[in-house]
Amino acid sequence: MREEHFDIVVVGGGHNGTTIAAYLAKCGLSVCILEERPECGGGQENTEPRPGFRIDPHATYLYGGAAPGFEQLDLAKYGFRMVYYQSMAGLVTTDGVAANLGGRWNREVAQKSVSYYTGQDAVGAEEVFLGSMGDDGLRDLLRSIFWTPPLPDSVEIEPKDAPMWQEFRKQLPGLWSERLVEMSFLDFLDEFVPWEPLRTFQAFAAWYCGAHPGWDGMLLPSLGGTLLVGYSSGSPRGGMHSYAHAIIRSAIANGARVITNASVGEILVKDGRAVGVKLDDKASYPEKTIWADKAVISAVDVKQTFLKLIGQTHLDASFVQKVRDVSLKGGSLYVLSVLCRELPKYHGREDAFPEEVYPSCVAAPVDSIDFFHTQTKDAYSKKKAPVLTKEHLTMMICQHDVYDRTRCPEGYHVLSPIYLEVPPPQYDVEGPEGINRHKDEITKAALDLLESLAPNMNSNNIVEVFLNTPYDSEFRNAGMSGGNWYGARQSEDQWFGSRPIKELGRYKTPIENLYLCNHTSHPGGLCLMAVPYNLMHVLIEDKIASPGNWWYPSPYYVADTKKGSQN
Amino acid sequence: MRQSYEATPDVNLLAQFPQESSFDVAVIGAGPNGLITAAYLAKAGLKTVVIERRQEIGGGLATEETLFPGFYTNPHAIYHLMVDYMPLFQDFDLGVHGLTFIKPNIQTAAVFKDGSSLVLCQQIEDSKDSIALFSDKDARRFGHLMRQWQKIVDDVLAPGTYVPPMSPIDMIEALNRGESGQEALRLTEMSPMEIIEENFENDKLRMALLYMSTMWGLNPRDSGLGFLVPLLVTRNLNKAQCYGGSHKLAGSLSRAIHQAGGIILDNAEVVKIDVENNQAKRVILDDGRVINASAIISSLPPPQTFGKLIDRDLVPSELVQTAENWEWDQWSFFTVSLALKEAPRYISEDPWVNDALMTILGFETYNELATHFDAVLSGKISDSDEVGGHATTETRYDPTLPRIPGHEVAFLQSHVPLSTKINYEEVGANLRDRLISKWSEYAPNITKDSIVASSHESPLDIETRIKTMVGGSIKHGDYNPLQMGVFRPHDSVIAGRSPIDGLYLCGASSYPGGLIIGGPGYIAANTVAEDFEIDKWWKTPKYIEKYKEAYLEA
Repeated sequence: MREEHFDIVVVGGGHNGTTIAAYLAKCGLSVCILEERPECGGGQENTEPRPGFRIDPHATYLYGGAAPGFEQLDLAKYGFRMVYYQSMAGLVTTDGVAANLGGRWNREVAQKSVSYYTGQDAVGAEEVFLGSMGDDGLRDLLRSIFWTPPLPDSVEIEPKDAPMWQEFRKQLPGLWSERLVEMSFLDFLDEFVPWEPLRTFQAFAAWYCGAHPGWDGMLLPSLGGTLLVGYSSGSPRGGMHSYAHAIIRSAIANGARVITNASVGEILVKDGRAVGVKLDDKASYPEKTIWADKAVISAVDVKQTFLKLIGQTHLDASFVQKVRDVSLKGGSLYVLSVLCRELPKYHGREDAFPEEVYPSCVAAPVDSIDFFHTQTKDAYSKKKAPVLTKEHLTMMICQHDVYDRTRCPEGYHVLSPIYLEVPPPQYDVEGPEGINRHKDEITKAALDLLESLAPNMNSNNIVEVFLNTPYDSEFRNAGMSGGNWYGARQSEDQWFGSRPIKELGRYKTPIENLYLCNHTSHPGGLCLMAVPYNLMHVLIEDKIASPGNWWYPSPYYVADTKKGSQN
Repeated sequence: MRQSYEATPDVNLLAQFPQESSFDVAVIGAGPNGLITAAYLAKAGLKTVVIERRQEIGGGLATEETLFPGFYTNPHAIYHLMVDYMPLFQDFDLGVHGLTFIKPNIQTAAVFKDGSSLVLCQQIEDSKDSIALFSDKDARRFGHLMRQWQKIVDDVLAPGTYVPPMSPIDMIEALNRGESGQEALRLTEMSPMEIIEENFENDKLRMALLYMSTMWGLNPRDSGLGFLVPLLVTRNLNKAQCYGGSHKLAGSLSRAIHQAGGIILDNAEVVKIDVENNQAKRVILDDGRVINASAIISSLPPPQTFGKLIDRDLVPSELVQTAENWEWDQWSFFTVSLALKEAPRYISEDPWVNDALMTILGFETYNELATHFDAVLSGKISDSDEVGGHATTETRYDPTLPRIPGHEVAFLQSHVPLSTKINYEEVGANLRDRLISKWSEYAPNITKDSIVASSHESPLDIETRIKTMVGGSIKHGDYNPLQMGVFRPHDSVIAGRSPIDGLYLCGASSYPGGLIIGGPGYIAANTVAEDFEIDKWWKTPKYIEKYKEAYLEA
């Protein structure tokens, strides 16, 4: 047996855990990542359930293109490659509208396609922004929303002076008005996007990219999700797990130790300080106690961190209740993957989706904003599996293999993921397994709907279907509470310095030397390398990390000068 | 290679792996041998890149969620035969990455319909106790023979795995220098069936031993490779399972490579090796990227390395012929994997059968098994009566495979012809059902109700996942005397060094061959180190030194 001491122990080898490990290893610290599964990456996952066919059970696009991490962690050196897409998205309605929305690298197709229906030039809310900002402007705006650590408690500002709005004013002075701060993205769409299918598409796109568009005061984060995906308009070659590989390899090359099949059972706390972790008995490591001399970083969600990994004797009851009440609504996905021989040929305009500019993601059907409200109500208000009519089953259907030939063998296509948002299992009126009891009927309804919109999606064309419900996702991916990819609703009261609760807003915890680095902290999921980047500011502030010249902080970073503010 | 519909836009938004780069060493293929070669050379200070077509490294060291969602299996290698000998484990502390092998005592069982069974164990006395139920004579003979065979393995066969091959004449001369060598030479001239019949009288024991010695592709009736029988039988009593899945070995090796400064590039298929003036210069990838390297080390079989990647007129004529005439494996596997509510319980009077790492079922007699192999060798799938194979409850020694607590994962694997001979898209589902039904005859608790999920993989699927295993050839090419020893892949390739300067071979199609033994990778690493005149930071294991002293340096 070895006595294992590291400066830093990272619990969980998902996107955020591996990234913070890479950052800290690059600072010269000894770092150990403990991952429960056989493979790191968390939601950055491509699985090959049938030989040759790779599906995306969770994350699917590169949202993080504006991340400082690419440069700071030198991911190019470790093999990072992109595939940029000619068309990112398209929309389809039940009555035969099919519009190709193109993307950043091909605007012409979208202009042509949308103006066919509307006679107008603008292609929607994204266009308002993408059209009026250069690469650097958009990058800086995105960084102010996502790659900016929450401000210390001692700094009091008006919502309109939050970093993201400061940057907005700088980049888009003509668009700025103070009322934007209070708005939801839906309010904004009402004003800026007149064409109903496009408005509906934008609402769904925002929902699947981050904050629900109906949440008040969240215009910019909600719109920001779609800007993030639009920023790079593509995916890593091979899929999101390739991006994980580059991060993990950067971490290891900088000296981090990665141990898989090593499930952490407990974060050890002594005199109010986190001192290490204890592995489960079945972990594949001879030494079951691993000491952290400088910090334990929990890269699992806030609920598991405080309700499972830390003994309740170390925590205050009112704090524990706040953690229990962190809302899981918002990102619980029912994910279908359909292996087929032909791409869907949607009814309506035959020439809308030619193969060379086939949309990498089709939202269908998006007839009217009512479709959006109906689905939201099922997931959040009724808290049950969707009603199986076509107005309740709007799907986001992705097909990366159109542009990335590594995803499946020749002669086949992989429609993966096909996302459908459903209630978090924890809130399901039928109990956590509720959604799984309905999966045959939901899957059938989804495939029937697909066939009604694209008649060639019949049983001759479909080779095999794979499915993971949010309940499955919780088992498959231990860090994904609620099968929810952002783990804590991205509404205003769980955003920025209040994410997931005020006491934890700056990645610090009531336990000294225990830091949070998971999508339940600001700014949430999407594999942005943003939580670790933001956390780095705090670790530098706390004199745990001292990076070299490669590091640059957020321009909106404000140091916490109040001594002893941590606890 | 699949073409995307149109070249993707030329965008310089994010820094990417460079269009052109230069390394000392470029290894093609991140299977076990490619990784081993790269790990040694990267740690020796050479700037090393490993290029892998798939997203995941490891080749046959695969652990995949084939029972999606929630259950991992090891769809290729699971029984690691040479863990006790691979120099790798002496040279690298892979334990720091959490690498652990489980080598259970109860290794190989055979079950029969009458409730009898053979339980062959690592601890030979336990094996003898089981054999004694069938034949006292065989039990005693088994004890004596295993001692002798173990010695042959230790003295010559295991060390020979990690040193370059010699010509047959030199080999005969060398082996004649000692008793173990002489016995290995004698066995070489015998077929597996002859060796087994020479030693044992009991029909069921003969069946089990024939299965154990030929399951990975020795022709039961052919002589010329009989020396492999002691190796395969003794190692079949010393298999290890990689805790956390076979991929963990690949992952641990990759971490050793990264720690040493090496790079692994995945989702990258080599489409060309450029050769100029008989010197390998660079590889071209499917996305157009170019990697220059002083040494290019291919783990791909000859029809790919010499037949596809290099311009034909630049390949020496003898290797063009090797590429064209290469014989793929004589058979492959068809595997059914199940996620189960409870582990298979066999109809055996001996409960130890349920704990065996591998359980042979479906063959009641020696003759039935021989008939099965004959059918497979003639390109057919056995009639339903003779279908059988070996089963493993993967979760018995590795509880990390199921994501859903309280569930088990098991597979049954059967020998079948390569996909060039059978249309598996047509017969696959039927064969799966036959195998499950056969399995449940021997393990009646496998029922519709107990099966949570199932999947099956044919030789075609094997090739789809791993392109070097053509037609399902798990060893990258048949084991026959003309493709073994110094002839694997051709005697112009010496210790992994090809006649094209700067081009080396390190895969299962090179000496000594396939399975997770790591010989080709280790030998290639040594050769490249010698050609680069770098100090070898590693020491030859003692048991190999002993072999060299006794047999090679006289």
